[in-house]
Amino acid sequence: MQKIEAVIQPSKLDAVKDALVEIGVQGMTITEARGHGRQKGHTEFYRGREYSVDLLPKVKLETVVSDEMLDKAVAAIIGVARTGTIGDGKIFVTKIDEAIRIRNDERGEMAL
Amino acid sequence: MPEKEIPEDGMCGEYQQKMLAIRAAFEAGASGRATVAARAEAMDKLVAGLWAQAVRQTPTLGQGIALVALGGYGRRELFPYSDVDLLYLLDGKASEQEVKQPIRRVSQALWDCGIRLSPQTRRRSEAEKFEPDNVEFALALLDHRLLAGDAAVYEKFAGTGLPRMLEKEHRAIATGLATLTAERHRKYGDTLFHLEPSIKDCPGGLRDVHVCAWLATLEKTDTPGEKADSGWAAGEREEFEQAVEFLFGVRCFLHYRHERDDNTLDWQAQDAAAKVWMGMERRRAAREGPAPDAAYWMRLYFRHARIVERRLTHMLEESAVKPPPGRWTAVGRAALARVRRRPDGPTAGWRLEHGRAVLSAAGTGVAGDPAQDPEVVLPLFAAMSQTGATLDRASEMRVSQALPVLSAHLEEGPALWMHLQEILLGPYAGKTLRAMHALGLLELLIPEFHGIDALVIRDAYHRYTVDEHTMVLIDTLHGLESGQASPMGEWADRFGGLLRDVQHQALLYLAALLHDTGKGRSTDDHARESARMAESVAGRLELDAYESELLLGLIRNHLEMSAALRRDIFDLETVRAFSGKVQTPEALRMLTLFTYADIAAVHPDALTPWKAENLWRLYLATSNYLDRSVDDERVGARVGRELVKRVVAVMPERRAEVAEFLEGFPERYLRTRTPEQVRLHFEMAERFAADRVQIEFRYSAETSEITLVTPDRAMLFADMAGALAAWGMNIVTADAFSNRQGVVVDNFRFTDTFRTLEMNASEHEAFVASVHDVMAGTAPVEKLLAGRRRSGRKAPLVEVETRVDFDDEASTHSTLLQVVAQDMPGLLRAVSQTLAGQGCNIEVALVDTEGETAIDVFYVTRGGGKLDGEQEAELKDALLAAIAANAG
Repeated sequence: MQKIEAVIQPSKLDAVKDALVEIGVQGMTITEARGHGRQKGHTEFYRGREYSVDLLPKVKLETVVSDEMLDKAVAAIIGVARTGTIGDGKIFVTKIDEAIRIRNDERGEMAL
Repeated sequence: MPEKEIPEDGMCGEYQQKMLAIRAAFEAGASGRATVAARAEAMDKLVAGLWAQAVRQTPTLGQGIALVALGGYGRRELFPYSDVDLLYLLDGKASEQEVKQPIRRVSQALWDCGIRLSPQTRRRSEAEKFEPDNVEFALALLDHRLLAGDAAVYEKFAGTGLPRMLEKEHRAIATGLATLTAERHRKYGDTLFHLEPSIKDCPGGLRDVHVCAWLATLEKTDTPGEKADSGWAAGEREEFEQAVEFLFGVRCFLHYRHERDDNTLDWQAQDAAAKVWMGMERRRAAREGPAPDAAYWMRLYFRHARIVERRLTHMLEESAVKPPPGRWTAVGRAALARVRRRPDGPTAGWRLEHGRAVLSAAGTGVAGDPAQDPEVVLPLFAAMSQTGATLDRASEMRVSQALPVLSAHLEEGPALWMHLQEILLGPYAGKTLRAMHALGLLELLIPEFHGIDALVIRDAYHRYTVDEHTMVLIDTLHGLESGQASPMGEWADRFGGLLRDVQHQALLYLAALLHDTGKGRSTDDHARESARMAESVAGRLELDAYESELLLGLIRNHLEMSAALRRDIFDLETVRAFSGKVQTPEALRMLTLFTYADIAAVHPDALTPWKAENLWRLYLATSNYLDRSVDDERVGARVGRELVKRVVAVMPERRAEVAEFLEGFPERYLRTRTPEQVRLHFEMAERFAADRVQIEFRYSAETSEITLVTPDRAMLFADMAGALAAWGMNIVTADAFSNRQGVVVDNFRFTDTFRTLEMNASEHEAFVASVHDVMAGTAPVEKLLAGRRRSGRKAPLVEVETRVDFDDEASTHSTLLQVVAQDMPGLLRAVSQTLAGQGCNIEVALVDTEGETAIDVFYVTRGGGKLDGEQEAELKDALLAAIAANAG
């Protein structure tokens, strides 16, 4: 089982969710986040005051999928989240040792 | 361990059979009350039987122990899957060690039978002592009932021990109860209007019913002679009983549905309940015709819950365990003096006392019955909104009964709008509007509200019904205004500052009140529906065209900012498209605040600092975009036709001349003026032949306003700023626009530093004449400035650094210049004089002040075009020098 952590533009969230659901991913966790990569901050002037954003709003999406599903899921995310400009985000993949469904104690891929 | 004598399966089996029969009866139409009583009876038999058997095994059990039913069981109200509270009451004689095992066996037998038993063992001396930490136990004791065992023990307890304890502690218990209730209500947002309510714990639910009963019992202890059921109004008792019956039935329904003690009325449960006509008369009869839909059924639930809530509120107040109503909040007290001083206040049919608003009796002072006179009732609610006073019960009932008469006497138009404004703008608007809504008075004033009364909209995000959501939105806005401590911290401060800048606050609150009325109609676009309904409201209140447009625009667009937030807010295209929807800074401010409050009102967790930050960023970007696009969006043949039409409408016979006058003005000019104001400017321009300097002056103690309409010339703006500075006027906001023919409209709003105009009314004329002469060139402004008073400069609260910034991209044909500096008299004169001195022509000026900061935006040209880099540098140096010199 593999965990996918994707940091994406907030405006892409709905599209990414839909794309994952469409290929059969059953669950995910969404977090409001802030961050930056090589994308520079943004400065806005308002009434003589400078408002600079070093940390831009992002959304972190986490989901755990079976090994077979991994490539499809990653491709689905990239497919809708990519715009080709700096700030598109990143995807990280880690191996998961165990998954357990709290309600009925199902384990392994059954729990996904 | 001795063998069991009589197989317990027999008794347990009998109990289970009875349970099935009870369920069948319920589903066939038996009432909730009958069902819970039947289960209690069956339980009694089972417990008695098991105890009898235990005594046969261990005869010593026969003395010194009583089995007592507590809580719901004690009341003979055992819901299908609720816990059973059982107390083993020991007297001095029985040894705890001896009885422990047999008691455990009885409890075990009950558990084995699938019953969720909550057993407790207590010595009588313990039980009769009140533990302040365990109010719940004391409350459970109030509903005691002997089931089996030693009656003598029970008698000592129920006849002597417990009454003695209650006599001593009933007040403490009642206070503890009130505290627990308040905490529980707080968990549910202090409202009963949840989309998926817990019918046990939510306000207006079964817990509250129990609290009413407990308060009555505790009260009885206080005044043993008095009737316990005093204090019911006519018809109230039957309504309450019906509500209780309804809730009983629904809880049984939920228990059977979930097959456990789950009391949440979720959507599927609502659908199922509606389908079987749960709690409605037709349930027993043959079910012909279509069953009600869930939304209709939920309204029925809310109606009953409201009755329970009202009863509880009255009982809590009457039992005097809540802080006495005589507590005004600090805000309320401050408003109290102000309210009492008004001429239409207490002398006209109502008074405020001890935190209450009370209608005067009929025939005293005011002709007729005050409750029937809108001119009494509406100011009364306005006073409640200002001070937080609660309407007393008698007055409540009088208003409720007087609704038909009030309706007949209600006058629409500006008077009604005035009353409504006062109600909407008070810090306790939400509380007052809820009270008006519960009485039916709100629907009287705004029938459009009826469609969303207790309306349940299926939506994963919303927590409250549509009408409650509206109230919470209004509360949120007022919370921003008053700078209430909020988990949003600095964001609440920022947005609070924005709210203070809104000029038309009443319209913002009116828009909040009406924005979701369209949800009552089945339509996909509720924003459009709401705007349609708001249009008829605006008509009835006789709002002028500008106010109407602001109101309707806000409602029509109330989802636009949330929508824009879901896109990339750093993308210029998103900002451009969004700013096209709001069009003016005022509308932008209102929509931003509205969006903040709308999100907060969806659900307590919905608004996060993350979301607030994004909202603020979008506001900044759009505000800047609006300022940067003023110069390029001008009225012409193709652009802004709608705006032109609106002005022409007030002067239809002068269509051609009006269009010519308007051509070339930035759209911003038209969007920030009413058609009547534009007409006035047009007429002023027509008088140029007689006098080229046309001035319109409006005095007000807070902010006065002067408008100059004149042909353009050099130094125009600088001279005007100088004349005002010479008179000691501090300019707060200003703008300057010109049309294609070179007619300039300059508007200045200012405060009177030395109160010259306030103290000498005759000076108004002298002031206008002086300004006129300066602008006409007959009086040199330098001379005027030389003679001016200089105020002692107070140390500024906030040090503002001077900034001068240029933007060459914003406009196609002029350079945008922004100057930010410490606000002080003479600043605008210094800046505009410098511009003139550098040969720059002001195409557009937008001047604003925020606290101690002056923000001046100019679109300038030099020699008919933009400034180059060198010229900009030169200008910047000159400006910095002039500003520093003015600061002295």
